[in-house]
Amino acid sequence: MRIACIIPAFNEESTIAEMVRGALKHCSTVIVVDDHSQDRTAELSWRSGARVVKHILHLGAGAALSTGFRAALRGGFKIFVTIDGDGQHDPDEIPTALDPILKHEADMVIGSRILQGSRSMPLIKKIGNRILSIATSFVSGTKITDSQSGFRAYRREVLDCAMHRARDYRWASEILVLAAKEGFRIKEVPITAVYRERLKGAGIRDGLKILYSTMKSL
Amino acid sequence: MELYEIAATAFGVVMLLLTTRELARRKIGLLQYSLWTALWLALILIGTIPQFYHTLVLVTQALGMYTPIHFVTTFSILVLFAVAYYLGRRIAELDDKLSMAVQHIALQSANTKHAGLIEEKAEPPAA
Repeated sequence: MRIACIIPAFNEESTIAEMVRGALKHCSTVIVVDDHSQDRTAELSWRSGARVVKHILHLGAGAALSTGFRAALRGGFKIFVTIDGDGQHDPDEIPTALDPILKHEADMVIGSRILQGSRSMPLIKKIGNRILSIATSFVSGTKITDSQSGFRAYRREVLDCAMHRARDYRWASEILVLAAKEGFRIKEVPITAVYRERLKGAGIRDGLKILYSTMKSL
Repeated sequence: MELYEIAATAFGVVMLLLTTRELARRKIGLLQYSLWTALWLALILIGTIPQFYHTLVLVTQALGMYTPIHFVTTFSILVLFAVAYYLGRRIAELDDKLSMAVQHIALQSANTKHAGLIEEKAEPPAA
């Protein structure tokens, strides 16, 4: 089975090589989308065995991911896995996310950082994530505990029908709502997450934008 | 001739020349040129023929405004709202196009160099 792992990355030179090597153990190809990093992210990804797709301008996580999806769709891959490039996810948990898809139990799998307990998640992120997950569950009609997780697996058909358009962090809820509306089966599996010192990701302003765009799609 | 008349005329003439130069250099279109030219000509007319202002008073009073300045400020604010709306839409459109272009270039380059063909796995160089 041809499985592509897509890693959107922006200035992730400290973690990207480890993520690529880890993902290559479970996927046939790793595609790193370098969102115009100013460091050695692209070079280190390439040296670690990833195929690198480079943006000539910084567009945002959602755009990087959709570029990666398009590259993988062109490559004829059947299953897609996405993980973050910042080292938050453990690539050795990729089989956990792939399992429901390989067993035909789901079309889209979300690695939930909440299901196993979210003690390591910073409080502000925990609150924001909870609010956005409730909103996304309400709009999509599917119970989701971690709507903002970047650790996911998809069947090709999901991306053929439900590709997101958002360029920023809104992609996470948008694609979930689109997939649910198309009738795809969505399942969550528990994953662990490591929050390193250099904390990046969506802030309060992003959270408000996600909430607004999610509720707008009602 | 009052000082404000000289200032208005001079300013209008300079701006009219600059706008005409922009048109000659094809930096602005004919529609944009016509709109700005109308404004500069009005300024020049107010400066050179003060009676023109009194005609404007009659026109604006007919429109329900007390003086031309009320008309100008009210109308300008409305025009600025319309311009802001139009520019917002235009920026959003251009932003989308730029994003699509960046993604397109990224995918094209991925197929021709650096990453190797997506379909065929290339061997990475030794570290």
